[in-house]
Amino acid sequence: MATIDVEDLTKYYGDVRGIDGLSFTVDAGEVFGFLGPNGAGKTTAIRTLLGLQSPTSGSATVLGADIRDESALLEAKRKIGYLPDHLGFHEELTGTQILDYHASIKGDERRSELLELFTPPVERAVRGYSSGNKRMLGIIQAFMHDPDLVILDEPTSGLDPLKQERFHEFLREERDRGTTIFFSSHILSEVRQICDRVGILRDGRLVELEEIETLLNRSGKRVQVQTTTDGREALAALDGVIDVYEFDNGMQFIYTGDYNTLFRALSEHDIHEADISEPPLEDIFLHYYGEETAPNAEASADV
Amino acid sequence: MFETARFEGKRRVRGTAILSVGLSLYAAFIVWYFTVWEGAEVEELFQDMPPAMIEAFGIAELGSIEGFLGGQIYTFLWLLGLGIYFAYAGAGLVANDIEKGRMDLLGVFPISRTQLLSEKFAALLVPMVVLNLVVSAVVYVLVIAIGESIGPTHLFMAHALSLPYFLVCAALGVILSVVATRATIAERAAIGLIFLLWLGESVVSGSGEYSWLAYLSPTYYYEPTPVLIDGSYEPVHSLVLFGIFFGLLVVGLVLFKRRDF
Repeated sequence: MATIDVEDLTKYYGDVRGIDGLSFTVDAGEVFGFLGPNGAGKTTAIRTLLGLQSPTSGSATVLGADIRDESALLEAKRKIGYLPDHLGFHEELTGTQILDYHASIKGDERRSELLELFTPPVERAVRGYSSGNKRMLGIIQAFMHDPDLVILDEPTSGLDPLKQERFHEFLREERDRGTTIFFSSHILSEVRQICDRVGILRDGRLVELEEIETLLNRSGKRVQVQTTTDGREALAALDGVIDVYEFDNGMQFIYTGDYNTLFRALSEHDIHEADISEPPLEDIFLHYYGEETAPNAEASADV
Repeated sequence: MFETARFEGKRRVRGTAILSVGLSLYAAFIVWYFTVWEGAEVEELFQDMPPAMIEAFGIAELGSIEGFLGGQIYTFLWLLGLGIYFAYAGAGLVANDIEKGRMDLLGVFPISRTQLLSEKFAALLVPMVVLNLVVSAVVYVLVIAIGESIGPTHLFMAHALSLPYFLVCAALGVILSVVATRATIAERAAIGLIFLLWLGESVVSGSGEYSWLAYLSPTYYYEPTPVLIDGSYEPVHSLVLFGIFFGLLVVGLVLFKRRDF
């Protein structure tokens, strides 16, 4: 049985669409990335899956429990860890006091191990925490009871790059231990590094569900070439060449066609330099969202 | 079981301690003031006041220490002040957690919403019980210290009977907390509601034709001054308060179970 099985899940707030007709499954032991810009419905989907709000229509099971059945979901929640996007703690309490409360309800067999990896100043009141420290306290409470499924909503926001990298490494180890991870993000490089599969959400609807490798393969290669004017014209005319940018003595494009055709064309011209690489996910994102809502700004600010 | 009640109860210790000190100081001031006040022509001072006012402030029997305390502490501070305090505390119970984003973490705890809210509510017993114990003890000792006497049973009952009343106030707050979209709205509404119920009850209670309206206010069912003076109270009033409390709490729990966070 799938760890998360979502069937036509819909949530409206009055007339405002949160999510609409979401269907997907997350298998045991995989890292599933839930990708989309802010406001796409990622948090709505997660909060509905956790029973924090009831769906308008559709259904879903989490660890086999129907999300509309509170008592069934209670059993499942023992094995779920959750890191919300917006983290609220009692500001006057210390990290230890908060973790003690969480421990009394869900257990804390991995607390000390996690406190070595992530190091919020647990002896101090949360009031004085930086956003990174709050996030680390959130990470600890999400994993301390050794859950089978962890749902993370924008988990690295507020973490410094070093801690982000440590967290990514930690997630990879968790996956190897068999933990299922459901991970929402608008940071593409993060999803690229961590996730096995990705669902792309736009305006409350799932627009694409792919293995991350398929997504990258299907999206072609980024080609950068320094060549003559004739060469540039010939290459731009090839089938499968899109998103062409020209610069001094060179050009860059995304190539989705056949390699042999590309190499034949290259061999007919004077090439000073050539580089073929994976396109950044930002570019792939553009295909799904269009220029206006490109998440470049967010992504580059957060990476 | 009871982890949340313990956690929330501990969080209330500090506020309860501060409030206990504050109320004790106020009680001390009132007791001291009685020694100054004694001998003044009490009835004359208030004879021009409207009857509803005299009823509201419980200033009918200011000549005795029991009547004086009843008027200066219990009818006003205890009934109105603490009634508002507990309604306010109840109003913050759920709404604050939702507003501050804490409910996302509480909502995924493997405990039912009914248990969560019941335990959070139960933590309000900490200030309810402690304030009553501390202030009753302080009042008793101070009254003895100024050479007056007060029936310990009467004093104890005046305090004990406030518990069902406070439970009703807190439960009213909880309902506001569960239905409100923002914590400040719930809290302000709770303050306003208790004040209006108290004021309304005071105004209509002497008015004959509409005096039955007073039955609608929980303040009608808790009258500390007569208990202090001669130990008289209506047990059925406390039963009514417990009944209202359970009814309100059940409504609050049902609404809480259904709402989106």
